[in-house]
Amino acid sequence: MNGRTIVEPRTLHIDRPFRLDSGDTINGLDIAYEVYGELNGSRDNAVLIEHALSGSAHAAFYHRDDPKPGWWDVMIGPGKAFDTNRYCVICSNVLAGCNGTSGPASKNPATGLPYGLAFPPVTVRDMVEVQRLLLAHLGLDHVRCIAGGSMGGMQAMQFFTDYPTLFDSFICIASTMRHSAQQIAFNEVGRRAIMADPRWNGGGYYGIVPPEGGLSVARMIGHITYISEKMMQEKFGRLRKGKDDRAVFRPSFEVEHYLDYQGIAFVRRFDANSYLYITSAIDNFDLVSSISSSGRFRGEGRARGRGMDRIGEKTGLVIAFSSDWLYPAHQSRDIVRFYSGLGVRVSYAEILTDHGHDAFLTDVRDQTLMIQSFLDSLGA
Amino acid sequence: MERSGSDMHTMPGRIHGIIREWISPGSRVLDLGCGDGSLLKDLALTRQVQGIGVEISRDMIVRCLAKGISVYQADIDHGLSQWDDGSFDYVILNATLQVIHRPHEIIREMLRVGKKAVISVSNFGFVRNRVRVLFDGRISRDTRLSGSWHDTPVIRFVSLSEFIRSLREMDVETMDARYFLPMGKVSSRRTMLDNLLVKEAVFLLERSS
Repeated sequence: MNGRTIVEPRTLHIDRPFRLDSGDTINGLDIAYEVYGELNGSRDNAVLIEHALSGSAHAAFYHRDDPKPGWWDVMIGPGKAFDTNRYCVICSNVLAGCNGTSGPASKNPATGLPYGLAFPPVTVRDMVEVQRLLLAHLGLDHVRCIAGGSMGGMQAMQFFTDYPTLFDSFICIASTMRHSAQQIAFNEVGRRAIMADPRWNGGGYYGIVPPEGGLSVARMIGHITYISEKMMQEKFGRLRKGKDDRAVFRPSFEVEHYLDYQGIAFVRRFDANSYLYITSAIDNFDLVSSISSSGRFRGEGRARGRGMDRIGEKTGLVIAFSSDWLYPAHQSRDIVRFYSGLGVRVSYAEILTDHGHDAFLTDVRDQTLMIQSFLDSLGA
Repeated sequence: MERSGSDMHTMPGRIHGIIREWISPGSRVLDLGCGDGSLLKDLALTRQVQGIGVEISRDMIVRCLAKGISVYQADIDHGLSQWDDGSFDYVILNATLQVIHRPHEIIREMLRVGKKAVISVSNFGFVRNRVRVLFDGRISRDTRLSGSWHDTPVIRFVSLSEFIRSLREMDVETMDARYFLPMGKVSSRRTMLDNLLVKEAVFLLERSS
């Protein structure tokens, strides 16, 4: 492996009002993004990466003065699944996020103060419309592949299906076309934990103390769902940390300390209101009804669905993980069924792993083999 | 144009050739146990089929993806519930029958999701197999899917006459067939003592209406 490659975070500022699905507008939209690898002369080697709930535009390489690489650095880079020697890989932060793209923590130009709950509700479709502005800014009207895991998979599917002429292919990992009752339920418990924290204060905590307790509980619940029972048992079992058990109800089991750590690490880098907005967006996501409903042209979407007759020329790769109980494999098989029905040439792989939903971040080898082969075949 | 990869001098290559003749251009094809996807690639190039392969092995999935073949990772023994009735023109089971736990159910499923089915059968009644069992006393043998009796994926040993009886029991119509005889001969009709003389056979099937 070579040394640290530095990537510069970039921001695109949009002056015109940006129209949302809801009918609301955002003025002065910011889009944070990063680029890995170079665009070739014929500008046909772009790959768009979509991040998951807690991700950011920082998908790979290193920021200056940061010892940790981007969230999918194991998959993006020279010789990796998304080979930056061959592809120009682009990733941006989602709308309503808190890592550079406009969200509830951003300054509302109308008031000069952070939006808080005055930020309009967003949809997965709004998230991809933001990226359409980014592609236009980069002068890209053709993308080789759009790929993402979990919520990233939802964005990949929405973007690919709304604008089939823009993409050659999509890769959707550990995702779903719509949340089940269980998935909504877990997100709702997370949201309630945030809103039950008195510091949440109706979303108006900027400049004061954020609802760290609530947000960390939300993250703890998330982390339980991200790994398999087997992995949790193997990793922690009933191991205890420390000898001092006199303090009642203090975390003593290893698993408690692990969740505690995950919760605390998360509140340092994530905004509680963003968590509310984004989880709501993915709970409301419903791919099939979004492309068939009368609302498909709302917001920025006048051109949505153009070129659907050419979708049969496109290919897709859907990957699921055997021990993922948050986004179980049958949801991925439904995705394959849906796109096969549209005529897309879709492949499906189910990776055998104990790592649960998080496997899309950790099970690099199998994903790399599959994604490399899939991307190679696109050029042929 | 890329070469098909099927060598016409080997048994698999000759079977590919027969299947290619049967498949009409532009068909939708499902290939169960598609291996590295070479049959589907061949059919895509020569017959412009829209093909999907089904495979259980990760390595084969990767090889199919590299060829640009659509592939679906699944255990065929779990059925074909992923696909609706009549969604394919042809469903192929080539060099795979021997590993299927419930062959009758798979054949029924093939003719549910496909209008026609193509099945290749390795005849256990073939004289050389009989002689080997007689003298060697061993059931398992070195095949392309080789292994000892306890770990070979080959679990179904069927003779030509037993297979044909199964088709009759299931009300499946044979539209066409090829029987591989000694000396490299291929017959399209059943012959005397075929249960003894045929090494391998391939069938084009449909439901009796």
